[in-house]
Amino acid sequence: MSADASDLSLVRRVQRGDKGAFDALVLKYQHKLVKLVMRYVRNPAEAEDIAQEAFIKAYRALPQFRGDSAFYTWLYRIAINTAKNAVVSRDRSPVEYDLDRNNNDESYDMQGRMKDSETPEGLVLTDEIRSTVNAAIDALPEDLRTAIVLRELEGLSYEEIAAAMDCPVGTVRSRIFRAREAIDRRLREVFEGGLGRAEELG
Amino acid sequence: MNEELDSQLSAMFDDELPPPECELLARRLSRDEPLKARWGRYAIVGAVIRAERGVRLNAPLAGRVNAVLLAEPALAAHTAPRDRTSARLRWWQPLAAGAVAAGVATVSILWLRAQSPAGDAPLAARVAQPQAAVGAARAGTAAQGDSYIVPVTKPVGVMVPSTELANYVVAHSMFSPPVARRNLLSSFMTSEPAAAGTDEPQSDVKTVAQ
Repeated sequence: MSADASDLSLVRRVQRGDKGAFDALVLKYQHKLVKLVMRYVRNPAEAEDIAQEAFIKAYRALPQFRGDSAFYTWLYRIAINTAKNAVVSRDRSPVEYDLDRNNNDESYDMQGRMKDSETPEGLVLTDEIRSTVNAAIDALPEDLRTAIVLRELEGLSYEEIAAAMDCPVGTVRSRIFRAREAIDRRLREVFEGGLGRAEELG
Repeated sequence: MNEELDSQLSAMFDDELPPPECELLARRLSRDEPLKARWGRYAIVGAVIRAERGVRLNAPLAGRVNAVLLAEPALAAHTAPRDRTSARLRWWQPLAAGAVAAGVATVSILWLRAQSPAGDAPLAARVAQPQAAVGAARAGTAAQGDSYIVPVTKPVGVMVPSTELANYVVAHSMFSPPVARRNLLSSFMTSEPAAAGTDEPQSDVKTVAQ
């Protein structure tokens, strides 16, 4: 199995002019990228802006991407550079925001929360998503929970999980899929039934 | 939704699907919105398991990126194969284009000058050309002996009979300065003795040498 084959197939589609494939890449990596950017900026809204800029830069630079490295590694570098540049340009401009951050961390955090509070239902939904997923994971049978946690938390490959759980690779694939399906069933209820914000995913 | 398809989607999300299946599923994923939404929820599940704090799980980031990219041109135009040969050839393309343009311009100028009724040659020379052609034709036919070639001189629009022109100049002499009038008439008399008094252009010359 070639590593990064799925990303590469999506990347090739984007390079052939299929913008929908890039949408799939954004959906897959947006949370990882925002979390990465938040090492440089503590404000979630600003981190999202930088992540957005990084994705757009990546899209424009995609014709030069040849697949020598994994797509995420390449995207990671773009995001880091974008975040560093954003921090440098922000530090050059003497805005009140910086004074707040330097003088009073509490007020800085407050400001970050104020930006988030522009969409209060967004925060509620995030909390609800988190609690729903955690509850669904807790409700999973042990073998499914172990498989999905080893995959998502530890980042193990199917082969490594198979070795760890002493089962065939096909079984690992099936367990992870069934775990995701069980969680997704609960998650869909939140998006479609609960707050009706499924469209915000895309 | 098809369970096998969802199973493939889950494996693809983990980069554990064979490349040929990835190709097919990537094609479907880029078009199938429910499938894409499920793909997005798989990403959320991963983010929650990794406890990515501070990340808004319902962030409309993908929608914002998508909105920006709607205004962007598709990448297909930019991703034409770029091999070394084409890169090597690329530098002389502007030069070649310039050379072709210059060539076309030169041919056009030469053609226009050839077609122009008022060329650079003096009037006497221009009027003398058909005479020379007739002379050459006569000489050629005489040299060839038994020849029935009948050279045909192309009609020349600029052939103005000297008599007519002289009459014209004289008739309008009151409107032209004396110096210019004298120069023109004297040039007729000195340079066109053969053509003087000829009323018709030497258009068709039929010479039959036996």
